[in-house]
Amino acid sequence: MNYEEQLKLQSFLDGELPEKDARDVAARVARDNQAAALLAELRHTREAITGFEDTIRLPESREFYWSKIQREIDRLQPVSAREAPAFSLWAYLRRVAVPATALALVAIAGLVANRGLHGFGGAGVTEVSVSDAEALTYRDYAAGTTLVWLSFPADNEVAQNTTSGTLP
Amino acid sequence: MVDKDYSSTDDQALVGAARQGDTRAFEELVARHRDKIYARAFSMLRNEQEAIDLSQEAWVKGWQRLNQFQGESSFGTWMTRIVINLCLDELRRQKRQRTDSMEAIEEESGGVERQMPILEVNPTAGLERTELRQRIDRALGQLSREHRTVLVLHEFEEMEYKQIAKTMECSIGTVMSRLFYARRKLAALLADLKKESST
Repeated sequence: MNYEEQLKLQSFLDGELPEKDARDVAARVARDNQAAALLAELRHTREAITGFEDTIRLPESREFYWSKIQREIDRLQPVSAREAPAFSLWAYLRRVAVPATALALVAIAGLVANRGLHGFGGAGVTEVSVSDAEALTYRDYAAGTTLVWLSFPADNEVAQNTTSGTLP
Repeated sequence: MVDKDYSSTDDQALVGAARQGDTRAFEELVARHRDKIYARAFSMLRNEQEAIDLSQEAWVKGWQRLNQFQGESSFGTWMTRIVINLCLDELRRQKRQRTDSMEAIEEESGGVERQMPILEVNPTAGLERTELRQRIDRALGQLSREHRTVLVLHEFEEMEYKQIAKTMECSIGTVMSRLFYARRKLAALLADLKKESST
């Protein structure tokens, strides 16, 4: 048998030959002992390794194997996807709702105090500092009194960086 | 919070949950198919640690590509194709790094398998399952990467010649030649191992 015929025999075993060629090879095998022996050897080898992979088991526990996969998945997840919902809600409260509420409360308190001391026609003046929107100043020129309300928590950069308690 | 029990959920539903970001569902998929995915990597690479690392990499890729899984094949088959592609990439990388091996020279010079005597007796006949497994394991380890890969894709993945040629980026003739050599060499190795064990 030449090499080409040997490969054809293998193709016959694997069902890769067209019907006519398959019939020719089958006839050859029936009359040629060498061809029959080679076909038997190829078949034995194929049968021997059938199902071999099913016997292989992962040599690690489920938990240990999974832990590395999970770490990699966590690492690949974008930070925004993991933290965005909680972070944005907190940021909204911190940046908008809390200062706005504080300002509203201070304004109401200022108005009430102003009305209590002088009525609506009093000399008291409520000022909002342009440079610091979270500070509210009430001046009563008649009484010579100045009151300053600061919103809490101190959210602006100047307040966060101030280490001493002395106001300018 | 109590973790949901996914042990009785089918693969398709687990894939759906995993797509929504449920890593517990994905862990269940890993637990179900981890042996098969590792086995395929080990068959191709023949190195336990490399096979573990690469199979884990395949699972991470699977997670990233879950949206591409259309359900045309089973989830296990889909994952197997991912690990095969990673193994082939790894084998190509290793091939670029190594110098010509004796196996490669042998294959290029051609015809070694033509001179091998035909084995009249089945060398695995009468062997117990464990012993057979050990012998095949040793014999597969002695094949070159190229021959082993063709054998694995044909015998375990049940690919046709044409599919193997496409996957390995070679001609059908090369696939047939490598498969023939791998089978004949494997038969000879199994026979040698039988002789060793009987002496």
